[in-house]
Amino acid sequence: MTLVASETSYQMDDLILRIAETQDQKAFAELTVLAAPRLKAYAIRCGSHIDDAEELVQECLLTVWRKAHQFNPKTARSTTWLYTIIRNRRIDMGRKNKLDIVQSDDLWPEAESDLLEDDIERDLTGSLVRTLLYSLPDEQRQIVFKVYFEGKSHSEIAGELDLPLGTIKSRLRLAMKKLDTLAKEQVSWLTIILIMNF
Amino acid sequence: MAHYHPNHELLMQFAAGQLGNALGIMVACHLESCAECRQTSNQFEHLGGDILESLDEVDISPDFISQTMAKLTEVALADSMSKLTETSTDSSKDTLKINSEFPKPLQRFLPASLDQLSWYGVSKNIKQFDLSFSDKKYTAKFYKIKAGKELPQHTHRGQEFTLVVDGAFSDEGGSYHKGDFILADTSIKHQPKAHADCDCICFAVTNAPLQFTGFWGKMLNPFMR
Repeated sequence: MTLVASETSYQMDDLILRIAETQDQKAFAELTVLAAPRLKAYAIRCGSHIDDAEELVQECLLTVWRKAHQFNPKTARSTTWLYTIIRNRRIDMGRKNKLDIVQSDDLWPEAESDLLEDDIERDLTGSLVRTLLYSLPDEQRQIVFKVYFEGKSHSEIAGELDLPLGTIKSRLRLAMKKLDTLAKEQVSWLTIILIMNF
Repeated sequence: MAHYHPNHELLMQFAAGQLGNALGIMVACHLESCAECRQTSNQFEHLGGDILESLDEVDISPDFISQTMAKLTEVALADSMSKLTETSTDSSKDTLKINSEFPKPLQRFLPASLDQLSWYGVSKNIKQFDLSFSDKKYTAKFYKIKAGKELPQHTHRGQEFTLVVDGAFSDEGGSYHKGDFILADTSIKHQPKAHADCDCICFAVTNAPLQFTGFWGKMLNPFMR
């Protein structure tokens, strides 16, 4: 596997830090150009209507502006941080106008972050990630995506694909193992889930 | 430290932001006290980041950037205005929460202390308190089992998730303490007993009512719906 290091993640780190330090609107505009197309893809995959997707992306980016001071490149990659922000905005926007009392702040209180400084995670560049996820067999990647985008439980996925529950669990376990093995060949990746207890 | 944990299916769904309200809050409560699961959940968030990065880009509308920049100008202005006025409001909010005995994710939905919960009786030894999380699929309750007393033997028509909030209880499967997260389903028939030293308080989330199996339990069924 040949790897071409993606600069995107580092570029975004830098832009977010500039926003945090000097409220740099130019950095914000650059970040918008870089991040919006994938954030929009996430919104659509999660079931956002095509017209609402950009509203969610905009909300997400404005939250980035407000929370930029909380970003710590020593504890998370910018992509992971952006992911948690758009996930939370998706939850909260989906609940707007409804009698729904639980918000993302309840689920992820902004407590003192006790994340360990994890330099390893930063070694995983965008193109490697892409290679890893797409090297999974379709049938495995499909299940991972169903959990993340559609919120399906294992038994719901089993019903949908008309497969036994055990097959779903073992495919997911294989997917995690494969991601882990492939990543270890290149960098010592996340110690993600060698023994899954699904 | 907790000895019983949510499984990876739940932690992945949690990190994906795809759990319903009641279960989401419960997993969040467990994570607050369990560094191990917090770590796993962080890894699933990293996977979320990976997935985000792996998506094919979707074209954005031509005026998206200018609209977003216009919005930013509004937001930046509003923020600088509110910074001038906000001084006392924030600190009062913080002190209110410090005194609570509950895990942080639950605090907003409960009074500050266990004594202030308006328990209602199921029996002399078992009290309950309903939590409303506007969750379509699951119901959430607090149960209080008196020290040394046991629940009638029961099984579950669906799934039941339990988080020990205070005290401890035991059943045939083990002994559970504060912070432990337990999953029971239709295959489990058990008779939880609170440890003798103090009342046991559990946060329980179910998608179907308990089903009591013993004689006394059968008598209780109509009241437990």
